[in-house]
Amino acid sequence: MVSENIITICDGTGCIQKGSDKLQAAFEKEIAAKGLGDTAKINLSGCLGMCDKGPVVVVNPGYTIYGNVAEDDVTEIVESHVINGNPIAKLAIQEDHLFNRFFRVFGDAKFFGKQMRIALRNCGIIDPENIDDYLSVRGYEALAKVLTNMSPQDVIDQVKKSGIRGRGGAGFPTGLKWQFTADQNSDEKYVICNADEGDPGAFMDRSAIEGDPHTILEGMALAGYAIGAKHGIIYIRAEYPLAIERLEKAIEAARASNLLGKNILGSDFYFDIEIRLGAGAFVCGEETALIRSIEGKRGMPRPRPPYPSVSGLFEKPTLINNVETWANIPVIILDSGDWFSTVGTEKSKGTKVFALAGKVVNTGLIEVPMGTTLRQIIYDIGGGVPDNKQIKAVQTGGPSGGCLPVEYLDTPVDYESLAEAGSIMGSGGMIVLDETSCMVDIAKFFLEFTQNESCGKCTPCREGTKRMYEILTRITEGKGQLGDIKKLERLGNMIKKASLCGLGQSAPNPVLSTIANFRQEYEEHINDKKCRAGVCVELLIYQVTDKCVGCGACKRVCPVNAISGAKKEQHSIDTDVCVKCGACMDTCKFDAIIRV
Amino acid sequence: MVTPLDVIKKKRAEAVGRIIGRGYLATKRVYVGMATCEIAAGSKEVMEVFNEAITKDGLTDVYLSQKGCAGRCNLEPTVEVIEQGKNPVRYGKINREKAAQIIERHLKNGEVIEEWIID
Repeated sequence: MVSENIITICDGTGCIQKGSDKLQAAFEKEIAAKGLGDTAKINLSGCLGMCDKGPVVVVNPGYTIYGNVAEDDVTEIVESHVINGNPIAKLAIQEDHLFNRFFRVFGDAKFFGKQMRIALRNCGIIDPENIDDYLSVRGYEALAKVLTNMSPQDVIDQVKKSGIRGRGGAGFPTGLKWQFTADQNSDEKYVICNADEGDPGAFMDRSAIEGDPHTILEGMALAGYAIGAKHGIIYIRAEYPLAIERLEKAIEAARASNLLGKNILGSDFYFDIEIRLGAGAFVCGEETALIRSIEGKRGMPRPRPPYPSVSGLFEKPTLINNVETWANIPVIILDSGDWFSTVGTEKSKGTKVFALAGKVVNTGLIEVPMGTTLRQIIYDIGGGVPDNKQIKAVQTGGPSGGCLPVEYLDTPVDYESLAEAGSIMGSGGMIVLDETSCMVDIAKFFLEFTQNESCGKCTPCREGTKRMYEILTRITEGKGQLGDIKKLERLGNMIKKASLCGLGQSAPNPVLSTIANFRQEYEEHINDKKCRAGVCVELLIYQVTDKCVGCGACKRVCPVNAISGAKKEQHSIDTDVCVKCGACMDTCKFDAIIRV
Repeated sequence: MVTPLDVIKKKRAEAVGRIIGRGYLATKRVYVGMATCEIAAGSKEVMEVFNEAITKDGLTDVYLSQKGCAGRCNLEPTVEVIEQGKNPVRYGKINREKAAQIIERHLKNGEVIEEWIID
């Protein structure tokens, strides 16, 4: 139902403290009293980022923002604005923030209203292939601002003040990284955008680039100015053809508009960006391997220090940040580092983009303030688990992360809390698992991935992940042995400690976290040869019950002739011959075949 | 002295002028999601339908633009119809046929098609 008027009340912590819940009650009462139930709708949003002016109320259409709204103002807003269509100038506040622009188009939908969009502020709003669209939403204004009246150190100070930390997953303070690179004395420095997104199921960076490529370019140019670099390189995987095409178009348009290249916007600042394609090796997302790959060498990590900020690309000081980090930078410059630091938790500032997938009603790309709980993400935004199934766990951080059981659903998403709970923030994959997911199988899936992607340079990762994978395989095939869990734990911890780079150091996480939280499932697989989720095929047994009428339909579809029985008598399945394909169960019209 | 900020303001004004020149001030603006995910779900065909309606069938007063992914993966392709003075309407799971109906019913006759709305 499309209402004629939508009254959005900010339901962020700041506004709640200032009494937004009372406002909600007042609006509901007023709307009922005026008989507007059919035409006006009340909507609660997540934090709108204007806490200093709270409680904040937005009235649509027209996107009028009212600040410091008191209960006494409610009648006037409803009478004057909602009924008569006259916005109240004295209560309205003028905001020209960069963040949350998506709200004008999407704010009243439940899925979007609870989000806060900084990095994805233009995604799904503007035409990504037209620089005019980006310019019209204050694009490149941050770059113009720093070139006009900010010193390089001012820029770095803003980034430091914002408290933003690396969005690639490790969470290193971005401002410090910028400072370290700026402090290096070198005639040549580089700025790199890491767009080598490789986690299975992750598409945050692809969507961000495809939806708003110019913001990445602007973020990189800002860094070039701040640290004294002339060259930027975007390392992106070749599997993202549309993202590459849009980046190429964006770079060309920016050059033509004097926003990249010589004398940017009439200043004496030079900065240009080129694209390098990765061949899709997961390890090349690791910064030192990525740098090797750009240099034309085999993509393998090297020990740090020296960090890239000291000796990176071609042994020159190099600043490397993730796509999402870059997308935040123009907002930090225009809306200020101080504002940015008001969003999020004490140690994790700003927002985080997640690719929400798995057993959840609304799968999608979301951006929420740090500190939002997993429960809020899965239920308020994701709409819960479909088909009335029970949620079993949440996997965060992809192949480097872990599985958190239901008890951890109230964990806020920030770097420390997720790590304490036994997973990681990672780059933003979030997979919801329900009772039909087998935790051993999930762990095996991720380990198979990291084991395939191990570059082979160091032994713990190359050999260790292989051995772990073999053990997991035999457990899922019903050949698990006593002591396998212990072996997995020992191997896992060894690999974590002894591996050279982040790939190996985090590869055992999915296994270790599922053992820690779902040990019983491992034990059932090994001791009872049972998979409670019915996923591990080798552990399933098909049986014919007394519902069988002896029609013989199952016998005819069985590809290995494992079913026997006389006509009109109960059939039976020879478990030793059965290949567990399930064809008999699908064929039976009498539900006489069960899987145990 | 002309500062970079002055330059960017002029550029923005010019950009806005060009966008208006492309018909932005039309009564209705239609946005079709065109990221990899949307295209995989069939948004190119949807875009074609809108494009043809404007270029061949003489649908006037509609501004058509592509956009990136807003994040509603399970409801793609998505289409938004934005009309001055009204709340934005967001449609999900749009295909060729539904796009044709949006043109006939919503764009030409002002009927919001409730059952396809993303809420």
